[in-house]
Amino acid sequence: MKQNTEEQPRIVGFLCKWCSYAGADLAGTSRKKYPSNLTVLKVPCSGRIDPLFVLKGLRLGFDGVLVSGCHPGDCHYQTGNYRARRRIVVTKKFLEYLGVPEQRVQASWVSASEGAKFAQVVEDVVENVRAVGPNNLFSDEG
Amino acid sequence: MWLKMFEPSGPTTCLVMKVSDMEKELRQEAGKLLEEGTVDYIIGFAPGSLKFTTTPLITEDIDEINNLVINPFINNNLAKYLPEIPGRVGIIAKGCDSRSIVSLIQDKQIARQDIVILGIPCSGLVDLKKVEKLAGKERDKIDDIVVLADKVCITAGGEKKEVPTTEVLFDHCLGCELQIPKEYDFLIQEPAAEIRDYESSSKQIQELKKMSPDQRWAFWKEQFGHCIRCYACRQVCPACFCERCFVEESQPRWVSPVSQWQDNLIFQAIRTIHVAGRCTDCGECERVCPVNIPLRSLSKEMYDLVGEMFDYKTGMDVNAPALMTAYELVEAEGLIR
Ligand code: SF4
Ligand code: SF4
Repeated sequence: MKQNTEEQPRIVGFLCKWCSYAGADLAGTSRKKYPSNLTVLKVPCSGRIDPLFVLKGLRLGFDGVLVSGCHPGDCHYQTGNYRARRRIVVTKKFLEYLGVPEQRVQASWVSASEGAKFAQVVEDVVENVRAVGPNNLFSDEG
Repeated sequence: MWLKMFEPSGPTTCLVMKVSDMEKELRQEAGKLLEEGTVDYIIGFAPGSLKFTTTPLITEDIDEINNLVINPFINNNLAKYLPEIPGRVGIIAKGCDSRSIVSLIQDKQIARQDIVILGIPCSGLVDLKKVEKLAGKERDKIDDIVVLADKVCITAGGEKKEVPTTEVLFDHCLGCELQIPKEYDFLIQEPAAEIRDYESSSKQIQELKKMSPDQRWAFWKEQFGHCIRCYACRQVCPACFCERCFVEESQPRWVSPVSQWQDNLIFQAIRTIHVAGRCTDCGECERVCPVNIPLRSLSKEMYDLVGEMFDYKTGMDVNAPALMTAYELVEAEGLIR
Protein backbone atom coordinates (compact mmCIF):
# COMPACT_ATOMS: atom_id res chain seq x y z
CA MET A 1 0.00 0.00 0.00
CA LYS A 2 1.23 3.45 -0.84
CA GLN A 3 1.35 6.04 1.89
CA ASN A 4 0.97 9.78 1.69
CA THR A 5 4.42 11.27 1.34
CA GLU A 6 5.58 14.75 0.73
CA GLU A 7 5.78 14.53 -3.03
CA GLN A 8 2.40 12.94 -3.04
CA PRO A 9 -0.15 13.26 -4.35
CA ARG A 10 1.21 12.86 -7.85
CA ILE A 11 -0.99 14.47 -10.46
CA VAL A 12 -0.76 14.18 -14.22
CA GLY A 13 -2.12 17.13 -16.17
CA PHE A 14 -3.11 17.13 -19.83
CA LEU A 15 -2.93 20.75 -20.89
CA CYS A 16 -3.96 22.27 -24.19
CA LYS A 17 -0.96 23.99 -25.71
CA TRP A 18 -2.92 27.07 -26.80
CA CYS A 19 -4.28 28.03 -23.42
CA SER A 20 -3.74 26.07 -20.21
CA TYR A 21 -0.16 25.16 -21.10
CA ALA A 22 0.56 28.81 -21.83
CA GLY A 23 -1.30 29.66 -18.62
CA ALA A 24 1.08 27.38 -16.75
CA ASP A 25 3.99 29.16 -18.40
CA LEU A 26 2.61 32.50 -17.37
CA ALA A 27 2.19 31.31 -13.79
CA GLY A 28 5.90 30.45 -13.88
CA THR A 29 7.14 33.65 -15.49
CA SER A 30 5.03 35.72 -13.13
CA ARG A 31 6.57 33.79 -10.24
CA LYS A 32 3.29 32.52 -8.90
CA LYS A 33 3.85 29.80 -6.34
CA TYR A 34 2.03 26.52 -6.74
CA PRO A 35 2.68 22.92 -5.64
CA SER A 36 5.16 20.91 -7.67
CA ASN A 37 3.06 17.75 -7.66
CA LEU A 38 1.91 18.20 -11.24
CA THR A 39 3.48 16.38 -14.18
CA VAL A 40 2.47 18.30 -17.28
CA LEU A 41 1.77 16.74 -20.65
CA LYS A 42 1.14 19.08 -23.54
CA VAL A 43 -1.66 18.20 -25.95
CA PRO A 44 -2.60 20.06 -29.13
CA CYS A 45 -6.19 20.60 -27.97
CA SER A 46 -8.41 19.41 -25.14
CA GLY A 47 -10.29 17.59 -27.92
CA ARG A 48 -7.23 15.35 -28.24
CA ILE A 49 -7.70 13.98 -24.75
CA ASP A 50 -9.04 10.46 -25.03
CA PRO A 51 -10.70 9.05 -21.88
CA LEU A 52 -7.95 6.45 -22.19
CA PHE A 53 -5.40 9.03 -21.05
CA VAL A 54 -7.28 9.46 -17.80
CA LEU A 55 -7.44 5.76 -17.02
CA LYS A 56 -3.89 5.19 -18.15
CA GLY A 57 -2.76 7.92 -15.76
CA LEU A 58 -4.54 6.24 -12.87
CA ARG A 59 -3.23 2.84 -13.96
CA LEU A 60 0.32 4.18 -13.92
CA GLY A 61 -0.24 5.17 -10.33
CA PHE A 62 -0.93 8.88 -10.51
CA ASP A 63 -3.19 9.87 -7.64
CA GLY A 64 -5.13 12.35 -9.72
CA VAL A 65 -5.66 13.48 -13.29
CA LEU A 66 -6.24 17.05 -14.42
CA VAL A 67 -7.43 17.90 -17.88
CA SER A 68 -7.48 21.53 -18.89
CA GLY A 69 -8.36 23.42 -22.04
CA CYS A 70 -9.54 26.74 -23.41
CA HIS A 71 -12.72 28.35 -22.13
CA PRO A 72 -15.84 27.50 -24.14
CA GLY A 73 -15.85 29.72 -27.19
CA ASP A 74 -12.06 30.16 -27.20
CA CYS A 75 -10.89 26.94 -28.86
CA HIS A 76 -8.09 27.47 -31.36
CA TYR A 77 -9.88 24.94 -33.56
CA GLN A 78 -13.33 26.41 -32.87
CA THR A 79 -15.07 23.38 -31.37
CA GLY A 80 -12.43 21.05 -29.93
CA ASN A 81 -13.18 21.97 -26.34
CA TYR A 82 -16.95 21.66 -26.79
CA ARG A 83 -16.46 18.08 -27.91
CA ALA A 84 -13.91 17.50 -25.17
CA ARG A 85 -16.44 18.73 -22.63
CA ARG A 86 -18.94 15.99 -23.43
CA ARG A 87 -16.25 13.34 -23.30
CA ILE A 88 -14.70 14.59 -20.10
CA VAL A 89 -17.89 14.87 -18.10
CA VAL A 90 -19.09 11.48 -19.27
CA THR A 91 -15.75 9.97 -18.27
CA LYS A 92 -15.79 11.68 -14.89
CA LYS A 93 -19.33 10.59 -14.08
CA PHE A 94 -18.80 7.05 -15.29
CA LEU A 95 -15.59 6.59 -13.33
CA GLU A 96 -17.44 7.81 -10.25
CA TYR A 97 -20.01 5.10 -10.85
CA LEU A 98 -17.23 2.51 -11.10
CA GLY A 99 -15.98 3.62 -7.72
CA VAL A 100 -13.22 6.11 -8.54
CA PRO A 101 -13.55 9.03 -6.09
CA GLU A 102 -14.60 12.08 -8.08
CA GLN A 103 -11.65 14.11 -6.75
CA ARG A 104 -9.24 11.97 -8.76
CA VAL A 105 -10.46 13.26 -12.10
CA GLN A 106 -10.75 17.01 -12.45
CA ALA A 107 -11.16 19.43 -15.31
CA SER A 108 -10.75 23.14 -15.76
CA TRP A 109 -10.76 25.89 -18.35
CA VAL A 110 -7.67 28.06 -18.10
CA SER A 111 -6.73 30.63 -20.74
CA ALA A 112 -3.22 31.74 -21.69
CA SER A 113 -3.67 34.92 -19.67
CA GLU A 114 -4.83 33.19 -16.49
CA GLY A 115 -1.56 32.39 -14.79
CA ALA A 116 -3.05 33.09 -11.39
CA LYS A 117 -6.05 30.86 -12.06
CA PHE A 118 -3.74 28.07 -13.17
CA ALA A 119 -1.78 28.26 -9.93
CA GLN A 120 -5.01 28.24 -7.95
CA VAL A 121 -6.38 25.26 -9.91
CA VAL A 122 -3.25 23.22 -9.22
CA GLU A 123 -3.34 24.15 -5.57
CA ASP A 124 -6.98 23.06 -5.25
CA VAL A 125 -6.53 19.88 -7.26
CA VAL A 126 -3.59 18.83 -5.10
CA GLU A 127 -5.56 19.53 -1.96
CA ASN A 128 -8.63 17.63 -3.19
CA VAL A 129 -6.62 14.63 -4.28
CA ARG A 130 -4.63 14.59 -1.08
CA ALA A 131 -7.91 14.38 0.81
CA VAL A 132 -8.77 11.04 -0.83
CA GLY A 133 -5.33 9.62 -0.19
CA PRO A 134 -2.93 7.67 -2.37
CA ASN A 135 -4.25 5.87 -5.41
CA ASN A 136 -4.49 2.18 -4.61
CA LEU A 137 -7.20 1.51 -7.19
CA PHE A 138 -5.13 -0.87 -9.25
CA SER A 139 -3.16 -2.53 -6.52
CA ASP A 140 -3.68 -6.24 -6.13
CA GLU A 141 -4.18 -6.13 -2.40
CA GLY A 142 -7.20 -4.89 -0.56
CA MET B 1 -42.69 -27.61 -32.63
CA TRP B 2 -41.12 -26.15 -29.53
CA LEU B 3 -42.32 -22.70 -30.20
CA LYS B 4 -46.03 -22.44 -30.71
CA MET B 5 -46.94 -18.84 -30.76
CA PHE B 6 -46.10 -15.43 -29.61
CA GLU B 7 -49.14 -13.37 -29.06
CA PRO B 8 -49.52 -9.74 -28.15
CA SER B 9 -51.79 -8.91 -25.26
CA GLY B 10 -54.44 -6.47 -24.21
CA PRO B 11 -57.43 -5.20 -26.08
CA THR B 12 -55.72 -6.01 -29.36
CA THR B 13 -56.02 -9.75 -28.93
CA CYS B 14 -58.56 -9.87 -31.73
CA LEU B 15 -55.76 -8.93 -34.13
CA VAL B 16 -53.56 -11.80 -33.03
CA MET B 17 -51.64 -13.45 -35.80
CA LYS B 18 -49.73 -16.61 -35.24
CA VAL B 19 -46.03 -16.20 -35.69
CA SER B 20 -46.20 -18.05 -38.94
CA ASP B 21 -48.30 -15.26 -40.40
CA MET B 22 -45.71 -12.68 -39.50
CA GLU B 23 -43.02 -14.91 -40.89
CA LYS B 24 -44.99 -15.44 -44.07
CA GLU B 25 -45.32 -11.74 -44.59
CA LEU B 26 -41.64 -11.19 -43.84
CA ARG B 27 -40.48 -13.92 -46.19
CA GLN B 28 -42.66 -12.57 -48.94
CA GLU B 29 -41.26 -9.08 -48.59
CA ALA B 30 -37.66 -10.22 -48.23
CA GLY B 31 -38.01 -12.55 -51.21
CA LYS B 32 -39.41 -9.74 -53.31
CA LEU B 33 -36.47 -7.50 -52.44
CA LEU B 34 -33.96 -10.12 -53.57
CA GLU B 35 -35.94 -11.12 -56.62
CA GLU B 36 -36.40 -7.60 -57.88
CA GLY B 37 -32.76 -6.84 -57.21
CA THR B 38 -33.58 -4.04 -54.77
CA VAL B 39 -31.04 -5.51 -52.38
CA ASP B 40 -27.99 -7.73 -52.75
CA TYR B 41 -28.33 -9.40 -49.37
CA ILE B 42 -30.92 -10.12 -46.75
CA ILE B 43 -29.91 -10.25 -43.11
CA GLY B 44 -32.30 -11.96 -40.73
CA PHE B 45 -32.69 -14.83 -38.31
CA ALA B 46 -32.79 -18.56 -39.04
CA PRO B 47 -33.43 -21.42 -36.60
CA GLY B 48 -30.33 -22.23 -34.54
CA SER B 49 -28.73 -25.63 -34.18
CA LEU B 50 -29.77 -25.85 -30.53
CA LYS B 51 -33.23 -25.71 -29.06
CA PHE B 52 -34.58 -22.24 -28.33
CA THR B 53 -31.94 -20.48 -30.38
CA THR B 54 -31.70 -18.66 -33.65
CA THR B 55 -28.69 -17.81 -35.73
CA PRO B 56 -28.02 -14.84 -37.99
CA LEU B 57 -28.80 -15.51 -41.63
CA ILE B 58 -26.99 -13.48 -44.27
CA THR B 59 -27.96 -14.53 -47.72
CA GLU B 60 -28.23 -13.60 -51.38
CA ASP B 61 -29.98 -16.87 -52.13
CA ILE B 62 -33.71 -16.61 -52.58
CA ASP B 63 -34.18 -20.25 -51.61
CA GLU B 64 -32.86 -19.48 -48.15
CA ILE B 65 -35.54 -16.90 -47.50
CA ASN B 66 -37.86 -19.61 -46.22
CA ASN B 67 -35.52 -20.10 -43.29
CA LEU B 68 -36.34 -16.67 -41.92
CA VAL B 69 -38.00 -16.84 -38.53
CA ILE B 70 -39.49 -14.48 -35.98
CA ASN B 71 -39.72 -15.74 -32.42
CA PRO B 72 -38.77 -14.71 -28.86
CA PHE B 73 -35.21 -15.99 -29.38
CA ILE B 74 -34.06 -13.65 -32.13
CA ASN B 75 -31.32 -12.24 -29.92
CA ASN B 76 -28.59 -10.92 -32.15
CA ASN B 77 -28.42 -7.27 -32.94
CA LEU B 78 -27.97 -7.68 -36.67
CA ALA B 79 -26.98 -4.05 -37.19
CA LYS B 80 -23.48 -5.26 -36.35
CA TYR B 81 -23.07 -6.71 -39.84
CA LEU B 82 -24.10 -3.65 -41.82
CA PRO B 83 -20.77 -1.80 -42.01
CA GLU B 84 -19.10 -4.99 -43.22
CA ILE B 85 -21.48 -6.04 -45.97
CA PRO B 86 -21.04 -4.43 -49.37
CA GLY B 87 -23.89 -3.36 -51.60
CA ARG B 88 -27.50 -2.83 -50.70
CA VAL B 89 -28.83 -4.78 -47.78
CA GLY B 90 -32.29 -5.65 -46.53
CA ILE B 91 -32.23 -6.14 -42.79
CA ILE B 92 -34.80 -7.48 -40.38
CA ALA B 93 -34.98 -5.18 -37.39
CA LYS B 94 -36.61 -5.22 -34.00
CA GLY B 95 -36.98 -1.87 -32.28
CA CYS B 96 -33.58 -2.00 -30.59
CA ASP B 97 -31.88 -3.16 -33.80
CA SER B 98 -33.47 -0.28 -35.67
CA ARG B 99 -31.99 2.11 -33.15
CA SER B 100 -28.52 0.66 -33.71
CA ILE B 101 -29.02 0.97 -37.47
CA VAL B 102 -30.04 4.61 -37.09
CA SER B 103 -27.07 5.19 -34.79
CA LEU B 104 -24.73 3.82 -37.47
CA ILE B 105 -26.31 6.18 -39.99
CA GLN B 106 -25.90 9.08 -37.54
CA ASP B 107 -22.23 8.13 -37.23
CA LYS B 108 -21.94 7.92 -41.02
CA GLN B 109 -20.82 4.30 -40.94
CA ILE B 110 -23.56 3.32 -43.36
CA ALA B 111 -25.77 5.26 -45.77
CA ARG B 112 -29.53 5.25 -45.35
CA GLN B 113 -30.11 4.66 -49.07
CA ASP B 114 -28.09 1.43 -48.99
CA ILE B 115 -30.30 -0.14 -46.35
CA VAL B 116 -33.82 -1.47 -46.57
CA ILE B 117 -35.20 -1.85 -43.07
CA LEU B 118 -37.80 -4.57 -42.60
CA GLY B 119 -39.27 -3.64 -39.25
CA ILE B 120 -40.88 -6.18 -36.96
CA PRO B 121 -42.74 -5.49 -33.73
CA CYS B 122 -41.13 -7.09 -30.69
CA SER B 123 -42.78 -8.06 -27.42
CA GLY B 124 -39.50 -8.90 -25.74
CA LEU B 125 -36.97 -11.70 -25.98
CA VAL B 126 -36.82 -14.71 -23.70
CA ASP B 127 -33.67 -15.11 -21.63
CA LEU B 128 -33.10 -18.85 -21.67
CA LYS B 129 -30.92 -18.66 -18.58
CA LYS B 130 -33.88 -17.33 -16.61
CA VAL B 131 -36.14 -20.08 -17.97
CA GLU B 132 -33.61 -22.77 -17.07
CA LYS B 133 -33.42 -21.40 -13.56
CA LEU B 134 -37.18 -21.26 -13.14
CA ALA B 135 -37.65 -24.73 -14.55
CA GLY B 136 -34.71 -26.09 -12.61
CA LYS B 137 -33.66 -27.85 -15.79
CA GLU B 138 -31.22 -27.33 -18.60
CA ARG B 139 -32.14 -26.46 -22.14
CA ASP B 140 -32.20 -30.05 -23.38
CA LYS B 141 -34.61 -31.12 -20.66
CA ILE B 142 -37.07 -28.34 -21.49
CA ASP B 143 -39.69 -29.43 -23.98
CA ASP B 144 -41.57 -26.29 -24.71
CA ILE B 145 -41.73 -22.60 -23.98
CA VAL B 146 -44.92 -20.85 -24.98
CA VAL B 147 -45.21 -17.10 -24.60
CA LEU B 148 -48.77 -15.93 -24.21
CA ALA B 149 -48.56 -12.17 -23.77
CA ASP B 150 -48.12 -11.66 -20.03
CA LYS B 151 -47.78 -15.36 -19.17
CA VAL B 152 -45.24 -17.92 -20.22
CA CYS B 153 -45.87 -21.64 -20.13
CA ILE B 154 -42.81 -23.82 -19.62
CA THR B 155 -43.14 -27.55 -20.15
CA ALA B 156 -40.38 -29.81 -18.90
CA GLY B 157 -40.48 -33.53 -18.22
CA GLY B 158 -44.26 -33.65 -18.42
CA GLU B 159 -44.57 -30.85 -15.89
CA LYS B 160 -46.17 -27.59 -16.84
CA LYS B 161 -45.29 -24.34 -15.17
CA GLU B 162 -46.84 -20.96 -15.77
CA VAL B 163 -44.88 -17.82 -14.88
CA PRO B 164 -45.35 -14.10 -15.53
CA THR B 165 -43.54 -13.05 -18.70
CA THR B 166 -41.65 -10.41 -16.71
CA GLU B 167 -39.74 -13.24 -15.07
CA VAL B 168 -38.28 -14.66 -18.26
CA LEU B 169 -37.61 -11.67 -20.50
CA PHE B 170 -34.10 -10.23 -20.74
CA ASP B 171 -33.47 -7.38 -18.30
CA HIS B 172 -32.98 -4.92 -21.12
CA CYS B 173 -36.31 -5.93 -22.69
CA LEU B 174 -38.03 -5.11 -19.40
CA GLY B 175 -36.86 -1.53 -19.86
CA CYS B 176 -37.33 -1.37 -23.65
CA GLU B 177 -37.94 2.07 -25.10
CA LEU B 178 -38.74 1.14 -28.68
CA GLN B 179 -40.62 -2.05 -29.45
CA ILE B 180 -41.66 -1.10 -32.96
CA PRO B 181 -39.06 0.51 -35.22
CA LYS B 182 -39.61 4.17 -35.98
CA GLU B 183 -37.29 4.15 -38.96
CA TYR B 184 -38.24 1.50 -41.54
CA ASP B 185 -39.04 0.87 -45.17
CA PHE B 186 -41.46 -1.92 -44.53
CA LEU B 187 -43.19 -2.69 -41.25
CA ILE B 188 -45.14 -5.71 -40.22
CA GLN B 189 -48.30 -4.10 -38.91
CA GLU B 190 -48.80 -5.92 -35.70
CA PRO B 191 -49.08 -4.67 -32.13
CA ALA B 192 -46.47 -5.62 -29.56
CA ALA B 193 -47.28 -6.68 -26.02
CA GLU B 194 -46.03 -4.12 -23.53
CA ILE B 195 -44.26 -6.15 -20.88
CA ARG B 196 -42.27 -3.90 -18.57
CA ASP B 197 -40.62 -4.04 -15.20
CA TYR B 198 -38.34 -1.04 -14.93
CA GLU B 199 -37.31 -1.90 -11.41
CA SER B 200 -35.91 -5.32 -12.18
CA SER B 201 -34.52 -3.98 -15.44
CA SER B 202 -32.07 -1.79 -13.52
CA LYS B 203 -31.97 -3.65 -10.25
CA GLN B 204 -28.24 -4.26 -10.06
CA ILE B 205 -27.38 -0.69 -11.00
CA GLN B 206 -29.56 0.59 -8.18
CA GLU B 207 -27.93 -1.81 -5.76
CA LEU B 208 -24.47 -0.72 -6.83
CA LYS B 209 -25.41 2.90 -6.35
CA LYS B 210 -26.30 2.22 -2.75
CA MET B 211 -22.76 1.01 -2.10
CA SER B 212 -19.74 3.15 -1.23
CA PRO B 213 -17.25 3.93 -4.02
CA ASP B 214 -14.81 1.45 -2.45
CA GLN B 215 -17.41 -1.30 -2.44
CA ARG B 216 -18.33 -0.59 -6.05
CA TRP B 217 -14.70 -0.70 -7.12
CA ALA B 218 -14.23 -3.96 -5.23
CA PHE B 219 -17.28 -5.36 -7.00
CA TRP B 220 -15.93 -4.58 -10.46
CA LYS B 221 -12.44 -5.68 -9.50
CA GLU B 222 -13.84 -9.07 -8.58
CA GLN B 223 -15.96 -9.28 -11.72
CA PHE B 224 -13.13 -8.45 -14.10
CA GLY B 225 -10.92 -11.00 -12.45
CA HIS B 226 -13.08 -13.47 -14.38
CA CYS B 227 -12.73 -11.77 -17.77
CA ILE B 228 -10.81 -13.90 -20.25
CA ARG B 229 -10.44 -11.11 -22.81
CA CYS B 230 -12.23 -13.07 -25.49
CA TYR B 231 -13.61 -9.76 -26.82
CA ALA B 232 -16.99 -11.31 -27.53
CA CYS B 233 -18.57 -8.20 -25.99
CA ARG B 234 -16.80 -5.99 -28.48
CA GLN B 235 -17.32 -8.27 -31.46
CA VAL B 236 -21.07 -8.46 -30.94
CA CYS B 237 -21.60 -4.76 -30.23
CA PRO B 238 -22.92 -2.76 -33.19
CA ALA B 239 -21.53 0.41 -31.62
CA CYS B 240 -17.98 -1.03 -31.65
CA PHE B 241 -17.22 -0.35 -35.28
CA CYS B 242 -13.62 0.88 -35.12
CA GLU B 243 -11.40 -0.90 -37.60
CA ARG B 244 -8.64 -0.81 -35.10
CA CYS B 245 -9.36 -1.09 -31.40
CA PHE B 246 -7.16 0.61 -28.80
CA VAL B 247 -6.58 -2.72 -27.08
CA GLU B 248 -4.63 -3.92 -30.09
CA GLU B 249 -2.44 -0.87 -30.38
CA SER B 250 1.16 -1.47 -29.46
CA GLN B 251 2.68 2.01 -29.84
CA PRO B 252 1.75 3.04 -27.24
CA ARG B 253 0.35 -0.03 -25.58
CA TRP B 254 -2.65 1.20 -23.64
CA VAL B 255 -3.55 -2.04 -21.91
CA SER B 256 -1.77 -5.31 -21.48
CA PRO B 257 -3.03 -7.98 -23.87
CA VAL B 258 -2.68 -10.46 -21.06
CA SER B 259 -5.77 -11.00 -18.98
CA GLN B 260 -5.37 -9.32 -15.61
CA TRP B 261 -8.21 -7.64 -13.82
CA GLN B 262 -6.72 -4.15 -14.00
CA ASP B 263 -6.43 -4.16 -17.77
CA ASN B 264 -9.65 -6.09 -18.23
CA LEU B 265 -11.49 -3.45 -16.27
CA ILE B 266 -9.80 -0.61 -18.14
CA PHE B 267 -10.66 -2.28 -21.44
CA GLN B 268 -14.34 -2.49 -20.56
CA ALA B 269 -14.50 0.95 -18.95
CA ILE B 270 -13.00 2.55 -22.04
CA ARG B 271 -15.16 0.47 -24.36
CA THR B 272 -18.22 1.69 -22.49
CA ILE B 273 -17.06 5.30 -22.63
CA HIS B 274 -16.19 5.03 -26.32
CA VAL B 275 -19.66 3.80 -27.15
CA ALA B 276 -21.38 6.46 -25.05
CA GLY B 277 -24.13 7.90 -27.19
CA ARG B 278 -24.01 4.89 -29.50
CA CYS B 279 -25.10 2.19 -27.12
CA THR B 280 -28.80 1.47 -27.43
CA ASP B 281 -29.00 -0.86 -24.43
CA CYS B 282 -29.51 -3.84 -26.70
CA GLY B 283 -27.96 -6.04 -24.02
CA GLU B 284 -25.89 -8.08 -26.45
CA CYS B 285 -22.57 -7.58 -24.65
CA GLU B 286 -23.92 -9.05 -21.44
CA ARG B 287 -25.67 -11.91 -23.22
CA VAL B 288 -22.55 -13.12 -24.97
CA CYS B 289 -20.06 -12.77 -22.12
CA PRO B 290 -18.93 -16.35 -21.44
CA VAL B 291 -18.11 -15.64 -17.82
CA ASN B 292 -21.33 -13.78 -17.05
CA ILE B 293 -19.93 -10.41 -16.14
CA PRO B 294 -22.94 -8.09 -15.70
CA LEU B 295 -21.80 -5.81 -18.52
CA ARG B 296 -25.18 -4.22 -18.92
CA SER B 297 -24.76 -2.71 -15.46
CA LEU B 298 -22.02 -0.67 -17.13
CA SER B 299 -23.55 0.03 -20.52
CA LYS B 300 -27.02 0.83 -19.21
CA GLU B 301 -25.60 3.22 -16.63
CA MET B 302 -23.78 5.02 -19.43
CA TYR B 303 -26.98 5.00 -21.50
CA ASP B 304 -28.83 6.67 -18.63
CA LEU B 305 -25.97 9.08 -17.96
CA VAL B 306 -25.99 10.56 -21.46
CA GLY B 307 -29.76 10.59 -21.37
CA GLU B 308 -29.77 12.67 -18.19
CA MET B 309 -26.85 14.92 -19.01
CA PHE B 310 -27.56 15.65 -22.65
CA ASP B 311 -31.18 14.62 -23.05
CA TYR B 312 -29.93 12.26 -25.72
CA LYS B 313 -31.48 9.03 -26.95
CA THR B 314 -29.36 7.11 -29.41
CA GLY B 315 -30.87 5.96 -32.66
CA MET B 316 -34.26 7.60 -32.30
CA ASP B 317 -33.78 10.27 -34.96
CA VAL B 318 -31.91 9.59 -38.14
CA ASN B 319 -31.33 13.31 -38.70
CA ALA B 320 -29.96 14.11 -35.26
CA PRO B 321 -26.19 14.55 -34.97
CA ALA B 322 -24.36 11.82 -33.07
CA LEU B 323 -23.86 12.70 -29.40
CA MET B 324 -20.11 13.09 -29.41
CA THR B 325 -20.01 15.12 -32.62
CA ALA B 326 -22.35 17.77 -31.29
CA TYR B 327 -22.51 20.23 -28.44
CA GLU B 328 -24.58 22.96 -26.87
CA LEU B 329 -22.91 26.25 -26.05
CA VAL B 330 -23.79 25.81 -22.40
CA GLU B 331 -24.07 22.35 -20.89
CA ALA B 332 -22.76 20.04 -18.18
CA GLU B 333 -22.51 23.01 -15.86
CA GLY B 334 -20.68 22.66 -12.57
CA LEU B 335 -18.47 19.75 -13.58
CA ILE B 336 -15.59 21.76 -15.02
CA ARG B 337 -14.21 24.74 -13.15
S1 SF4 C 1 -17.16 -10.97 -23.29
FE1 SF4 C 1 -16.76 -11.02 -21.06
S2 SF4 C 1 -14.91 -12.34 -20.86
FE2 SF4 C 1 -15.04 -11.73 -23.02
S3 SF4 C 1 -13.74 -9.86 -23.13
FE3 SF4 C 1 -15.88 -9.17 -22.80
S4 SF4 C 1 -16.04 -8.94 -20.57
FE4 SF4 C 1 -14.20 -10.21 -20.95
S1 SF4 D 1 -22.48 -1.77 -25.38
FE1 SF4 D 1 -23.69 -3.70 -25.16
S2 SF4 D 1 -25.83 -2.96 -24.92
FE2 SF4 D 1 -24.65 -1.24 -25.75
S3 SF4 D 1 -24.91 -1.38 -28.01
FE3 SF4 D 1 -23.00 -2.50 -27.46
S4 SF4 D 1 -23.67 -4.64 -27.21
FE4 SF4 D 1 -25.55 -3.38 -27.13
